[in-house]
Amino acid sequence: MTRARSLDRRGVTWGLIAVAVFLALTFFGSDRLVWFDAALVGYLFGTLFAVFGIIYRYAVWLRRPPTMMLNRRGWDAFRANAGRNLVALPSLVATQLLAQGFIRRRSTARWIAHQLVFWGCILAALVTFPLTMGLLHFESVGQQGDRYRVFLSRFGTIDFDAESIFGWLMFHALDVAAVLVLGGVFIFLRRRLRDPGALAVERSGDFLALAGLFAVSVTGLFLTVSSLWLDGRFYSALNTLHALTVVLGLMYIPFGKLFHIFQRPGNLGVAYYKAANEQGPAATCRRCGEPFASAQQIADLQTVLPQVGFDYGIDGGGNYQDTCPRCRRASVTLAQSVRVGGFG
Amino acid sequence: MRPPRYGVDDSPIFVIDQSRCIGCEACVQACEECGTHRGRSMIHLDRIDRAATTQTAPMICMHCEDPTCAQVCPADAIKQTEGGVVQSALKPRCIGCSNCVLACPFGVPKYVAEFDQMMKCDMCQDRTAEGYAPMCASVCPSEALWYGTVDEFTERRRGTLLDAWLFGRQQVRTKVFTVVDDVSPGPLDALSTGTGTWLDDPFGLEEGT
Repeated sequence: MTRARSLDRRGVTWGLIAVAVFLALTFFGSDRLVWFDAALVGYLFGTLFAVFGIIYRYAVWLRRPPTMMLNRRGWDAFRANAGRNLVALPSLVATQLLAQGFIRRRSTARWIAHQLVFWGCILAALVTFPLTMGLLHFESVGQQGDRYRVFLSRFGTIDFDAESIFGWLMFHALDVAAVLVLGGVFIFLRRRLRDPGALAVERSGDFLALAGLFAVSVTGLFLTVSSLWLDGRFYSALNTLHALTVVLGLMYIPFGKLFHIFQRPGNLGVAYYKAANEQGPAATCRRCGEPFASAQQIADLQTVLPQVGFDYGIDGGGNYQDTCPRCRRASVTLAQSVRVGGFG
Repeated sequence: MRPPRYGVDDSPIFVIDQSRCIGCEACVQACEECGTHRGRSMIHLDRIDRAATTQTAPMICMHCEDPTCAQVCPADAIKQTEGGVVQSALKPRCIGCSNCVLACPFGVPKYVAEFDQMMKCDMCQDRTAEGYAPMCASVCPSEALWYGTVDEFTERRRGTLLDAWLFGRQQVRTKVFTVVDDVSPGPLDALSTGTGTWLDDPFGLEEGT
């Protein structure tokens, strides 16, 4: 029987630090809990669990040898030309993380679906987390019931008319977010149920993530339906149901498919790493003598490979990993032909 | 004629015998039909030494037991199914670093710049999960790529199945088999390529080669 793996101590430490920082932000951001909404305490616990889980998993992920190497090299490449890289950052974030053109080039439908879910979740997070932490609240202006002021912590910001389009959007931002997310979920679901290729490589987490997003969005919309058209009937039960789905959803983030939200920015480090490597020398193939990759990346790989249990060294000197991919295929073919007495 | 459909108990195997390749490229075209990467072929079909011979060789993912590509992936994006199929990188996770492309001992994964991600053969999971041969094996006229049971292989083909490889000091075992003539085969050493001799004696007719 295998022994259950114990928790990673460093991951736990970073997770607890993140929870402490989050709690401090909540305490001071809500003006010492004056503006903290006790009705949202369930969401706070869910968020704290998610913060711990995300930071824990991130810390453990960063300690995998290839991840650690790429993380270090990405930052090295960034610092080596910090000024130029900083200028390039907004464009990289816009294209790689926000516009997600690499998904559009795979499929327009998938890109639309992902953009809908992405912006819906961003909008929902921008509303939900500040509300949960007590960083955001609304107050009516003077004795007028139709004007409200947005407060960030104790600081008043903009006023708006509750009856205006802006006011409607402010109070229905989560409904807008839910509609965006549901649109994306339905497009994804259609593909997952009808595309044989997608079905073949289906993983349980794919449906679970969609089910979670669907449940959170639908139960959230139910609250609006109850208050607008059912005179608040079932509101309490629906509120509990919605809170439950949100808390379960938050707890799922660190362990499921949605963790890619936090992994994907690693792509920016790769962009800097690749750009820096292009300036450096190229590795040449030990068989054909042609350049095939950056010498830095090949050297990094040869550092990482023994750390993950591989030894591609050649007795008598050299390393098989200094062979270009094409020559690797040729070597395998030629070696096989020798063992069958030649081609043909 | 309906294609054979295998059950779980048949335990079909995938065999690659590059020496039988005739370069027809049927596998390359068929691979594009695979549901998991439709329109894009994942097969490598290389000319071994164009100046000296017309010989070509296909290369598919060999689906290593302990895949180097997955171990060097910083995003932990390459997963293995319970059946031992090493899948293409998970799209949400792959960050396009090309570590897998450069580390695979068989030179299989492709970095697709357009999508900024790695793609590779996943043994036509949409077909093999249903008991059908992968697209490439179903169309290969020379059976360089072949799918069937061990009994069928023994009955119809000559040679010994081998799933052990040596790359320098690194031994690798694969789900996909190759074929050798040896009766008691050791791992196939990728560096024992008999440089040049196969060109002089492609059919192994000369003594001592």
